[in-house]
Amino acid sequence: MDEGYANLPTSHLLGSVPAVTPEERKPAGPAEAATSRLQQFPPAPGATGGGYQPPGSPLDGDVETQTNWKGYFNVASYAPYFNVDTDVVVDRLISSVYPMDGFFRKIDANPDMYGPLWITTTLIFMLAAFGNFATYLMQRKTDLNIWNFDVGYFNWAATVMYGYAIVVPAAFFFLFQYFGSRPSLVRFWCMWGYSLFIFIPASILLLIPVEFLRWVIIAGAGGASSWFIALNLKECTEGADMMVLIASASVLQFALALFIKVFFFA
Amino acid sequence: MSHPHPQGDTVPLHPSSAQSDMDEIESLIHAAPTAAAVLPARPSSPPRASIPISNSPPVAAPTSSKPQPVPPFSSAVSSSSAPPRSASVTIPIAADGFGAPPNTLTEPVWDTVQRDLSRIVSNLKLVVFPNPFREDPGKALRDWDLWGPFFFIVFLGLTLSWSASVKKSEVFAVAFAVLAAGAIILTLNVLLLGGHIIFFQSLSLLGYCLFPLDVGALICLMKDNVVLKIVVVAVTIAWSSWAAYPLMSTAVNPRRKALALYPVFLMYVSVGFLIIAIN
Repeated sequence: MDEGYANLPTSHLLGSVPAVTPEERKPAGPAEAATSRLQQFPPAPGATGGGYQPPGSPLDGDVETQTNWKGYFNVASYAPYFNVDTDVVVDRLISSVYPMDGFFRKIDANPDMYGPLWITTTLIFMLAAFGNFATYLMQRKTDLNIWNFDVGYFNWAATVMYGYAIVVPAAFFFLFQYFGSRPSLVRFWCMWGYSLFIFIPASILLLIPVEFLRWVIIAGAGGASSWFIALNLKECTEGADMMVLIASASVLQFALALFIKVFFFA
Repeated sequence: MSHPHPQGDTVPLHPSSAQSDMDEIESLIHAAPTAAAVLPARPSSPPRASIPISNSPPVAAPTSSKPQPVPPFSSAVSSSSAPPRSASVTIPIAADGFGAPPNTLTEPVWDTVQRDLSRIVSNLKLVVFPNPFREDPGKALRDWDLWGPFFFIVFLGLTLSWSASVKKSEVFAVAFAVLAAGAIILTLNVLLLGGHIIFFQSLSLLGYCLFPLDVGALICLMKDNVVLKIVVVAVTIAWSSWAAYPLMSTAVNPRRKALALYPVFLMYVSVGFLIIAIN
């Protein structure tokens, strides 16, 4: 019975190595089952409590009969990552601006992908729109009339932001695993996504056509974001010799801030 | 052996059987209940009843559309059975009891276009303008279609592309991609937040809500005044959001209403910004 072995319900064990949590960070009891299932990405379909069942889909409560790869194409299997309410999202957004607010503790039990997805999308539109507006204001100061709306900003912004938000956390996930720590990919994506939120008000402020002020603003935003990343990485990975990785993550975040200033708000 | 078919809509595929026409038809009349089951797949005739032009009472007896090449002038046998012009008599398979439904394949193109246009207009009136169905948005767009949204998205892309002075094709590409992918992602967003929504109905609604932005883009194309553009775009964004609000907000849990509505607003604002800024 070969196929029986392939379909054993061991998919929930993949990657869900029990994390060594300090005492004060033990997740709430009823959420423990949800935590372990949320460790692997994506969870098996039907393995969620109260997950959305799309109309017309077979109501299969058992995991064994569904092969693993189908979970990637089923909308319902991503629904647990969007299990947040408005107030929860707003709370996480606010705590992402102040680096010392214990952000990681908030997302540990229920990491969400709604925040990263819409923060990056909003940032793309803001960068493209305000970048164009900023160049318009700058060239108006020099009294030339050759400004044209550069729609290429949309393409660049989309490539850079989506690429950064997806690739960098994945790369650090693999690096951290290689060096022995046990991170969780979804929490990395969630944290990096929320770390980009501070660039949204920064990009509004970067409209001010004073060059020195712009550099001050972007340095402030980049610094806060890098500090946020460093603090939360240190909290979620226990080893002290990860300093190199943590430092490189912060430097990368600051480099992103500089790139935003140089490319979009030149 | 050429058969001038005046109607010209069906071409028999197979050579005639060994029986004579009359024998064939008689055997088919007697074997009527099963004839429908063995109806061969014909690529050119619709699976609905068709009213042949020469509809004489005996034709109501189920004669199958066996693809026999009926000679056009075999008047001796064909006057009461298969019409002399073509072998397109079909069994009334559509068992809805209303007689023969209209044949949408052989109707004039103008009829088809007119029907689709009238559906677009009626859907538009239901979605974008005040109407008694706003309480139950699912019922409003019961008869959703995707022609309207397609037309509005392409029109908006064309208008933006027309008013751009550089990189016209890129402007169209960005506008089209943002609107089309945006509609899909917005619907998926509602589904992922645990909402109850029909995928294509939501796509259809988001497409129809672009109509005010189309009007705004057209006005901005005509008059190139910045202040006017800002005012017009602000009004049209408000109108679009007002039109899209009922379906999106009732589809999700009330505690997540803002999470579902914000991306809609984001999409319309970004398109509005494109309309203002393109010069």
